[in-house]
Amino acid sequence: MRRVAVAVLAAALVVVPAGGAADQARLTVFAASSLTDVLPAIDGRPGYSFAGSNQLAFQIRQGAPADVFASAAPSYARELYRAGLVERPRTFASNALVLAAPRSNPAGIRTVWDLRDKKVQLVVGTASVPIGDYTRRVLRRLGLASVLEKAVSQEPDVKTIVGKLAVGEADAGFVYRTDVRAAGGRLRAVSIPAWAQPAISYQVAVVRASRSRAAARAYVASLSTPRAKRLLRNAGFTVP
Amino acid sequence: MRRFAFTALLALALTVTAAFLLLPVLAIFLEVSPGRLLDQLGSEVALDAARVTLKTNAIALGLIVLFGTPSAYLLATRRFRGRALVVTLLELPLVLPPAVAGIGLLVAFGRQGLLGGTLDAAGVSVGFTQLAVVCAVTFVASPFYVRTAIAAFESVDETMFDAARTLGAGPARTFVRVALPLAGGGLSAGAAMAFARGLGEFGATIMFAGSLQGVTQTVSLAIYQEFDVNLDAALAISALLVLVSGAILLSVKVVSARAPSVWTSPPRFARSG
Repeated sequence: MRRVAVAVLAAALVVVPAGGAADQARLTVFAASSLTDVLPAIDGRPGYSFAGSNQLAFQIRQGAPADVFASAAPSYARELYRAGLVERPRTFASNALVLAAPRSNPAGIRTVWDLRDKKVQLVVGTASVPIGDYTRRVLRRLGLASVLEKAVSQEPDVKTIVGKLAVGEADAGFVYRTDVRAAGGRLRAVSIPAWAQPAISYQVAVVRASRSRAAARAYVASLSTPRAKRLLRNAGFTVP
Repeated sequence: MRRFAFTALLALALTVTAAFLLLPVLAIFLEVSPGRLLDQLGSEVALDAARVTLKTNAIALGLIVLFGTPSAYLLATRRFRGRALVVTLLELPLVLPPAVAGIGLLVAFGRQGLLGGTLDAAGVSVGFTQLAVVCAVTFVASPFYVRTAIAAFESVDETMFDAARTLGAGPARTFVRVALPLAGGGLSAGAAMAFARGLGEFGATIMFAGSLQGVTQTVSLAIYQEFDVNLDAALAISALLVLVSGAILLSVKVVSARAPSVWTSPPRFARSG
């Protein structure tokens, strides 16, 4: 009897139980951090994994079990599409870049030009993440590229920029318009001239390796319903 | 027979454990060739990160030992009400998620934090400086030292203190000449563990100090930044961190095996235990 028990225990150690069939029905959506609030409001049923678009694209390349990929920058979705990993991506929303400051505005920032003229603790995204890439493009267009040298931190994620502004540790940082909306009064936004704005379009695509592609396609379609558009607009996005 | 089967089962469990824990570490070295590894370690990002990490961790370790040693001695040699509570509180950062440490440091020492005004008046600004990195490292690494130091002082035979006192040594002299040497092995082990923990600090640092090459970007932050830009560089820095941390862990084992003391001659009076 005891030997049987030992054998069973050994078998349990060796055989790793395979994932249950029950979670097949539940979609997994990989989505950019900036969609953290709005996507679950549109559809609360899927499991969401929010991170930087670049990280999510990397994980999908490595075979992560995603059904849908919602990217904050077209380039990541397009690259995965070219590699044959996702179906044709489509734009479902767009965002805008703003210069954000803590509500108390310790550095007294009124326009984006104050970054050049005033003493400012500026935080920016690192060049490899979308927010950092957009920031550099905007500053170049404004002729303010030298402002980057003032940056006291190159952050890996838009969240850590928003956080440092919300607690008032930094004076200013470039974030998405939706981040200011989501921060609920802790941040104030200084808008950037429209002519300097980059096109920040959010693209969504069905992952080819998904085992529930029909449901994934239905999810993608659900992002264009009038209700979804209203929720996206409320969150600060522009919808096509 | 039954005994053999049981031993085989234990060995199987050990194999699974070891394979699971070692595979990711080995994979780092297999993924990038030694030549490329050395190449990448010469990069500016890696060198800057190594400098920042060494400097901030050395300062942090100094502070930890300076304040942690007397604190541990007090907690190990005196019994008072609430002692267990104090020890628990000191150990708290050990189990706190780094994100909690980061947020806590921001709202305590940040510009708008609890002590922000006081620090500002003193002309000290912590945010986005190496001082912030030192704070983060000290916060997360201290318990590793204090915990081990308490145990090290507690393991010193109490009759040694009595003997020192009988021979006319005051409490301070007893601490310096008897307690410190006898607990030396344990103290070094604790310091090494705290140092190893500090080297890998990530979460609290990115939240409190930010990340700027050559200023606040430590090796862990550099790995994260290079991860999707230059995977080879990220792997190379990771490999270096594995080697350094492994060396520290090994030296702890060696030092502990040679306890109690390496820096004084063995005590000449008899031991009771």
